[in-house]
Amino acid sequence: MQRHRQVAAAPQRRASETWEAIGQLISATLDRSPHILASDVDQAMEHASTVGRALVAAGHLDKHAVVVVADPIYLSITTVSGMAATTLDEDLGPVPGGATATDWTIYLPAPEPVTESVRAAVSGASHLSAEEPPGESTSKSAASDHENVLNLDALAQRAQERR
Amino acid sequence: MSPTSTSVSTYTRTQTATYLTDVVMGAIADILADLKIDVTVLYRDWKQDEAAIAAWIEEESLQQVVLECHQPNGTVAPIIEFPVAYTTTGKGDATFTADRAALARYRAKLERVPSGTTYGLICTFRKTRTPQPGWGPATRASTDGLKSLKFGTLGSAPHAAVSMRYLH
Repeated sequence: MQRHRQVAAAPQRRASETWEAIGQLISATLDRSPHILASDVDQAMEHASTVGRALVAAGHLDKHAVVVVADPIYLSITTVSGMAATTLDEDLGPVPGGATATDWTIYLPAPEPVTESVRAAVSGASHLSAEEPPGESTSKSAASDHENVLNLDALAQRAQERR
Repeated sequence: MSPTSTSVSTYTRTQTATYLTDVVMGAIADILADLKIDVTVLYRDWKQDEAAIAAWIEEESLQQVVLECHQPNGTVAPIIEFPVAYTTTGKGDATFTADRAALARYRAKLERVPSGTTYGLICTFRKTRTPQPGWGPATRASTDGLKSLKFGTLGSAPHAAVSMRYLH
């Protein structure tokens, strides 16, 4: 379930307020699950806030999304800065689908020149990652590829049985 | 005679202050990261510094934010200044713009600094300022003998604009 949300940054919000809005969106979405505690999500976002505010202020999140992967949710969040932020029609309500989510990871973008800072910020945090998020479509095609491999194995077995 | 209508957008000084604070703080974070200077303190004090700079821009007391790089041998260089220029009234056609692409290209030209270099943030004022938590009196390092390069306008908003000057 792929969703994209945009959050208004400056001049509507300071970088720290924008990061808090992103955190509230993620927390409200994952809080629908009985398996995920909102306090754990809040803690992860607070942990990442050190570098998160800088990502917002420098405009990196305008181009590179924070991605939340919590099957079946695949939520990418970007910011909108400048004039466009003043007229943005925001939807900060919880993204549907969170009720069945169990495991979750928040992927932070790590563009230059803050790559090392992002990696350091997520280090040791179990639900944060600075790696590339798995693409939802990639996951599906990977599953299809796997099925193809199984089919090929079955065909090979049949060929052996025929001999 | 056909009817006409006009649409007037009004932006506040708070929005100008919010926007330019982000532009300055974001530029400082990227510059320090580019120079591989430890940003732990910048990240830790972010909310406090962000609030102070925004308040000072809104009340139009802030003259400039100065980023000083203190090298282990005592040299203070580079020094990067972010002067703020205020307009007397909000410009009706002004927009919120930032030249981040140009800053990225410019950052690549900054001279590297030795490992162990630290930084300091100093604000100078054009009139009496409101005191802000975490900020106290400080003395700027000398800029004697440093070469100055103007970056130009870094960001602009209806009531003010911020530019950048690189001293090395």
